[in-house]
Amino acid sequence: MSGKRGEEAMIEVEGLSKSFWVHQKAPGLMGSIRSLVRREKIEKRALQSISFRVQEGEVVGLVGANGAGKTTLVKILAGIVHPSDGDARVLGYRPWQRDDRLRRRMALIMGQKAQLWWDLPAADGFLLLREIYQVPKERFEESLERLVALLGVEDQLQVQVRRLSLGERMKMELIAALLHSPKVVYLDEPTIGLDLGAQRAIREFILAYQQTDRPAMLVTSHYMEDIERLCERILILRQGRLVYDGSRRQVTERFARYKLIKVLLRKPAEADDLAYVDTIGRRLAHSEDQIQLEVERNQVASVASALMARLSVVDLAIEEEPLGHIVERLQRAQQEEENEQMLFDVGMQSGIS
Amino acid sequence: MRAGLFTRVVSLEARKQMSYRVDFWINAVMGFVAELTIAYFLWAAIFQARGADRIGGFTFEGMALYYVAAILLAKLVRGQSKDLTIARDIYEGSLTRYLIYPCSYVLFKYAEHLGSLVPALLQTLVFGVMALFWMQIPGDVQIDSLSVAMALTLVVVANMLAFLLRFPIQGVAFWADNVWSLNVMLRLATELLGGLLLPLSLFPPAAQAFLAWLPFPYFFYVPVQTLFGRVSVGEWLAALGVMSVWCVVIGAIGAMVWRRGHRVYTGVGI
Repeated sequence: MSGKRGEEAMIEVEGLSKSFWVHQKAPGLMGSIRSLVRREKIEKRALQSISFRVQEGEVVGLVGANGAGKTTLVKILAGIVHPSDGDARVLGYRPWQRDDRLRRRMALIMGQKAQLWWDLPAADGFLLLREIYQVPKERFEESLERLVALLGVEDQLQVQVRRLSLGERMKMELIAALLHSPKVVYLDEPTIGLDLGAQRAIREFILAYQQTDRPAMLVTSHYMEDIERLCERILILRQGRLVYDGSRRQVTERFARYKLIKVLLRKPAEADDLAYVDTIGRRLAHSEDQIQLEVERNQVASVASALMARLSVVDLAIEEEPLGHIVERLQRAQQEEENEQMLFDVGMQSGIS
Repeated sequence: MRAGLFTRVVSLEARKQMSYRVDFWINAVMGFVAELTIAYFLWAAIFQARGADRIGGFTFEGMALYYVAAILLAKLVRGQSKDLTIARDIYEGSLTRYLIYPCSYVLFKYAEHLGSLVPALLQTLVFGVMALFWMQIPGDVQIDSLSVAMALTLVVVANMLAFLLRFPIQGVAFWADNVWSLNVMLRLATELLGGLLLPLSLFPPAAQAFLAWLPFPYFFYVPVQTLFGRVSVGEWLAALGVMSVWCVVIGAIGAMVWRRGHRVYTGVGI
């Protein structure tokens, strides 16, 4: 388990598991009729014995494919869902017991679900939250002024939330969640559906908040840029299991097999040049003045010099493989390994192996 | 939940309700004029066909006044209870917000419920005053300050009872997702056995005696009879007693459903 033992962890998770019973219905009309009388139930194991700790000021990224268990984990730690097994403490409290002393110091921001009151202007919603969290007036006004200025939404405060654009609404949701200066913050897909400018603004805002208030943060996002910009440490989940807990940089160092070479050209590459490029690396993209290719890490020097010799190069940049590619490959490799193991086991049972 | 938060939620909900002008007027007209017109013509036909002066102890004028009072008091008792806010919160996952906030979901919803009564209060006042001016008050109806105060006390408790009844019924949404039909059944039972569709004095005496132990008559029939000065102080105290017991019973069932429901809540939508 990562996280220094000597320091007091803000989030402590030990052997946490969660199973759901999901109803299954056969397709078609007959399936629907049959399901009126009898329905099959299957157990879905969303989380399996997860353990980790998060310290004050740490921003931890939760990474995994759809259905990996990221959101279920966040829901348990926010007190929305009860676990099936294991234990978790947030600021010393079990979140699903919903102690007000914890709830006053915790926030959940959901990119896919509005928390502010749809029919009210954001300003009215903020005043209601001041009452809910019992924030003293002066501190509330000071926090509101700071957060509103950081996100540049002064002009939208009196607009009904349902009339705001997605980006503006998300900014208001962030302000609403942080007005009471929480010490533990969960961000579930905070930039989903936003344009690049809004994504950047929200990331910068989260970083600024993290530096001033030092909360423990858990971030889930399908945008790897969010994870790369915000998190030094990542947890990789696959089918409910924690398969990696460590530094984001180490993932690249340990698991990156490739590097990216970006070449800026003086004149467009000829067809035979492109054919040559394809023999020395995997071409990811090319335009009139640019080629981008993926090469094995130990081949970088020789490929770079071959490209310099063959093409009229203006500039050449060597970059690490994006985190998203590595995570995806890591998950695929583990799946293949498991499939192989399963085939082996089946073979053993049937006496083929 | 602090008083400041409670009053702010009441005020915000009242303002929200009043901001939907079209809904306010449609609700006012459909919820009073249309219902009253149907009852008026139906009973006019029945009195004519029977050729009787009184049915179930009511003259025709008394019956018309009964419906005016029952429809108006029902607005105060039920508020916006036709909607399914609690079931919707569970089904759509909006309950998540209230699980995270350090405040009681039940009290938050009760404050919203009281806020949503403000339009009903206005409608009741306007139509009630109009009815007092225009309608003939029969001799056996004695509306005075004491009967109004006694009736309003029953309305306040009945309102709380109607609110509490939402939790065990709509809480079924934790398991069944859609509880619309359950809610419709409850509404029909409340209107029929509560005296909104017809006065309970038309029921056989044995049925009336049995119903007196259930919560339903105290939603509409008993408050209207109290307003008309037909309920003694002793009967009124007994009614308050029965209602209080039902508040405790329904509250306890609601709390149990809620506690168990929380354990299976999955917070859909995120």
